[in-house]
Amino acid sequence: MLVPENTKCECGHQNAVGTVLCESCGKPLLEELQKADTPLEMRYDGVARRSQKTNPSIIDRVWNFFSSVKIAIYLIIITFLTAMLGTIYPQENSFINNSEPWLYYEQTHGLPGKIYYALGLSRTYESWWFIGLLVMIGTSLVICSLDRVLPLYRALSKQQIRKHHQFLHRQKTVYRGEVEGNAGEWVDQFAAQLKRKGYTIHTDESGAAMLAEKNRFSRWGPYINHIGLILFLLAILARSIPGWQMDTYVTVPDGDTVEIQGTNYYVKSEKFTVDFYNDEELPDSLKGKPRPKNFETKAVLYQCVQDCSDPLKSPQLEEVTRHDIGVNSPLQYKGLKLFQFDFNLTPRLNAVHPVLVDKTTGDVYGPFDLPMKDSALVHKLGPFTLELYANYMEFALDSEGKPTTLSREPNAPAFVFTVKGPGLKPEGEPYMYFPMQKDKVRFSQDSINRALADRIEIRVDGMENVDFSEATTFLNVRMDKALSFLWVGGIISMIGLVMGTYWQHRRIWLRIDEGKLSLGAHSNKNFFGLRAEIAAALKKTGIEVEPKRLDNGGNNA
Amino acid sequence: MNLVDFSSDAFIAAFFLYCIAFMLYVISIAGRKWSNRDPVEHERKWSRIAFFFSSAGLAAHIVFFITRWIGSGQIPTSNMYEFLTFLGMAIMLAYTVIFFLYRKPLLGMFALPLTIIIVAYASVFPQEVQPLIPALKSIWLKIHVTFAALGEAFFAVGFAAGLMYLLRVIDFKDKSKSGRRAQFWVEFCLYSIMVVVGFIVAVFVFRGMGYEAQFTQEKVNIDAKGIATTLTETVHYTLPPIVQPYNSTVDHVGAFLNVNEPLFEAPSWMNGVNAGRKLNTVLWSIITGSLLYGLLRLLFRKPLGAVIHPALEGIDPDDLDEISYRAIAIGFPIFTLGALIFAMIWAEIAWGRFWGWDPKEVWALITWLFYSAYLHFRLSRGWQGLRSSWLAVIGFVIVLFTLVGVNLIIAGLHSYSGV
Repeated sequence: MLVPENTKCECGHQNAVGTVLCESCGKPLLEELQKADTPLEMRYDGVARRSQKTNPSIIDRVWNFFSSVKIAIYLIIITFLTAMLGTIYPQENSFINNSEPWLYYEQTHGLPGKIYYALGLSRTYESWWFIGLLVMIGTSLVICSLDRVLPLYRALSKQQIRKHHQFLHRQKTVYRGEVEGNAGEWVDQFAAQLKRKGYTIHTDESGAAMLAEKNRFSRWGPYINHIGLILFLLAILARSIPGWQMDTYVTVPDGDTVEIQGTNYYVKSEKFTVDFYNDEELPDSLKGKPRPKNFETKAVLYQCVQDCSDPLKSPQLEEVTRHDIGVNSPLQYKGLKLFQFDFNLTPRLNAVHPVLVDKTTGDVYGPFDLPMKDSALVHKLGPFTLELYANYMEFALDSEGKPTTLSREPNAPAFVFTVKGPGLKPEGEPYMYFPMQKDKVRFSQDSINRALADRIEIRVDGMENVDFSEATTFLNVRMDKALSFLWVGGIISMIGLVMGTYWQHRRIWLRIDEGKLSLGAHSNKNFFGLRAEIAAALKKTGIEVEPKRLDNGGNNA
Repeated sequence: MNLVDFSSDAFIAAFFLYCIAFMLYVISIAGRKWSNRDPVEHERKWSRIAFFFSSAGLAAHIVFFITRWIGSGQIPTSNMYEFLTFLGMAIMLAYTVIFFLYRKPLLGMFALPLTIIIVAYASVFPQEVQPLIPALKSIWLKIHVTFAALGEAFFAVGFAAGLMYLLRVIDFKDKSKSGRRAQFWVEFCLYSIMVVVGFIVAVFVFRGMGYEAQFTQEKVNIDAKGIATTLTETVHYTLPPIVQPYNSTVDHVGAFLNVNEPLFEAPSWMNGVNAGRKLNTVLWSIITGSLLYGLLRLLFRKPLGAVIHPALEGIDPDDLDEISYRAIAIGFPIFTLGALIFAMIWAEIAWGRFWGWDPKEVWALITWLFYSAYLHFRLSRGWQGLRSSWLAVIGFVIVLFTLVGVNLIIAGLHSYSGV
C-alpha cells in the first residue's frame, strides 16, 4: 500500500504528486533536495507532469515511454543512423526504368550490393521500420509536448512574487548583498533599470519583493515548432491516401496530343526546343562541349468534354490553359503540374505523302496520305488500288527469317500492300514499301519486290511531303493534395523555432529582508546575457559586480 | 580588366588579410608572456588589431563576391569553387555576429584558420565562371544556397569554439584512461585537419610543377538488348599515381622521384571511372598530411594538443562552451530554413517533388537531426562542456560530409559542381 506523499508546502500550498519545487513559494519539497545546496533544477519550474503518476496503468506506461526526452533523442539518433545506411548505394526509386533492381545491385556492387538488396536497404525510406521510426518520432512529439506544456502553462500563469530563500539562493544566477536606505526605493530604482531592458515588473504589497520577467512567449516556441512538425509528418502520411498523390510520365512528340493517364486531361506539345551555349559564352575548359542553356516545351493542356471513354469516337477536347514549360517553370492547372523531365532530339517520322508511279506509262498518281500509325486500309490511286496487308514500326527479320517488329516506335517503318490494277494479277500482287531511304537500301526493297519493282514505284517527292516531329519531350505529371498542409506545417514549425531560439525567457526574483538583498535569476538558456543584464542594472543602482561573479555554478544551458 | 578578373584580385587580398589576421591573433595570445608588458593590455590591444585585419579581409571577400556576381551576371554560388568561397565568407560573417554578441575576439584564433583552409580548399576547384544550366536558373539558387551556407557557417563557428573548449580543458598531463582517450581524439581532430591541409598542399605543389599523368580505362557494358558496348574513358591525374584506375592502361606518366609508373591498381569494386583517381588523391592527402604532422611533432616534440593547450590558459572555458552552443542555436533555424524548407520549395518547383530521398537531401536531414539531438541533449538533458563540445565537433564533420563528401563519394541529383 502506497502511503500518500505529503505534498503540502510549509507556505500552505497544496501541490500535486510529483512536484519538485513548491508551485507557490518555490521551496524544494523533497527532503534530500532541501538538504543539498546545489543549484536547483528549474526545468518546467519543478511542477508535476502527467508522466509522473504513481501506480501507472498500461496507457500510462506507453505515455511515460513516449514522454521521455531521452527516448525522443534515441529515436532521432536511430533515425539519422539508419538514414545514413540508405545513402550507401542508390535507392531503387532513383531508377526510372529498372524492372530487375536485384541484378543492378549484384552486378554493380558485387556481394555487398547483393547483401544490401537482401537486407531491404535498397528501399530504406519506404521500409516499414523506417516509416515506423518516423511515426514514433511523431508520437513522441505529441506526447512530450502535451506532457510538459500544460503544467508549464499553469506554473507560469500563477507565479508567486515572494519566493523562499532556498529558492532564490539556489538559482544558477545569484546575488546577495546589503542595501542601504529604504528597501522600497531601492527596488523601484532597480526595477526602472530592468524596465528599460524590456522586463515586466511585479512587486508585492510590501514593496520589498519583486519579480521581473521578459519574453515568456519564447517558452511556447518549442511547442509551436513541434505542432508544425506534427502537421508536417501528418501531411506526409496523408500522401498515401489514394487519390492524394499522382506521379506519372508522358512522352509527347512535337505536334502530338497525348492523354494523361488517370485524368481527364490531354497535353499537346506544339514544339520542344533546346538551346545550347555557344563557345563565346563558355570558359575554355567547357568549349566544344554541349552545355544546355534552356529547355522549353510549348504545351497546351486540354480537357476532354465529350466521348472521353468511347473507344470508337475520338474525344472532344477543349483547351484549358497553355504554358511554356521550362525546368523551373511547370505548367500548373488546378493542382495538376507538368514538369520538364527529359527530351529526345531524334526526329520521328509521323507521315509521308507518297505518289505511285506507273513505270510502263510514266503516269503519276497521288500523292496520298500515309501516316505511320493507323493508316487507311485502302488507297485508291487512279486505276490502282493499294490494300494495306501489314504494317511494321521497326522492321526486322527474326532468327527464322520471318518479318517482325522490334518496337512500337516508327524507327524503321515498313508497309506491305496488295496492289491491284492494270496488268497485274486480279487477286493482287504484294509490294513492300519502306518510307525511309536507309531502310530501302538496308532491306533491299527492289529485290524483295522483284518483278513488280519494274512495273510500279511508290516514292516521296521532296521534303514537303514528309511530316516528322523534330523532338520528343518527356513530361512528369504530378499532383499532391497534401502540399498545402506541408507548407503550413513548415511555416508553423519555423515560427516556433525562431521564437524559441532567438529569444530567452528571463526571470529575476528578489526580496529584501532587513537590508539584506537576495536576488535569484533564471533564464531558460543563455545565462551569459542574463548575468550581463543584471550586472548592468545593479551598477546603475550603485552595486558594482562582475557579471561572472553572479554565476552560482550548475549547468548554464 | 573586367570585373571578374578584379574580383579574383580581391579574393587574393582577402586570403592574405585572413592569414595576417590569424598571425596577429597568435601574437595576441602567445605574446602575453613576453617581457615588459601587461598581459591583459597586450591581449586587448593585439586582438583588436587582429580583429581589424580579419574584418578588412571580410570586406575584401565581400567585394570579391559582389564584383564576381556583377561581372558574371549570376550569383557566385553555383559550383564547388564558388560555393566554398561563399561558405568561407559566411563563416567570417557568423564569426563577426558572434563577436558582437560576446566581444571575445580570441575565437578568431580558431575561426580564421578554418576560413583559410576552406578558402584554400576552394581554390583547388576550377575557378572559371561556368554559365548556368537550366536546372539552376531560379531565384531559389540565391535563396536556398545562401541560407544553407549561412546556417552551416554558424555550425562551423560552433565547431571552432567547441574544439577550442576541448583544447582548453583537456589536461594533457592526465594519465588516466579517460584522459588518454580524450587526448587521443583531440589529437586525431588536429591530425585530420592536417590531412585536409596536406591535400591542399599536394594539389598546389604538383600543379605548380605542372605534373600530369593519363590513363585509359575500358569498360564493357551490356545493354538491355544484350549488345555489348565498350566504353573507353581517359582519366587525367594531376597527382603522381600511386594507384591507377581499375582495369586501365597507362597513356603517359610524368616521372616523379624517378618513379614513372603507378605502384598499385585500384581494387575491382572501385570500378567507377574516377574512383581510382579519388583513391589516389586520398592517399596523397594522408601522406602529405602525415608528413606535415610529423614535421610539427618533430619541431615541438610533444602532441600538438599539448602545444596549443597552454596558450589557451586564461580563457574562460564556460564562455567558450556558451559561444559554441549559441552559434549552433543561431545557426539551427537558418539551416532549417535554407537547407530544408527552401530546398523543399525549390525541389517542388524544379522536379515536382519536395522530397525525393536524394543523398544530398538525406544528408541535409541527417545534419538537421544531429543538431536537433544536440539541442535536446543540451537543453533537456543538461549536456554541457565536454560532451556538448564533442557533439559540436562531430556535427561539423557531418556538415562537411554533406557539403563535400556527398558530391565526392555519392553524387546523385545534386552533382552540378564537378569535383
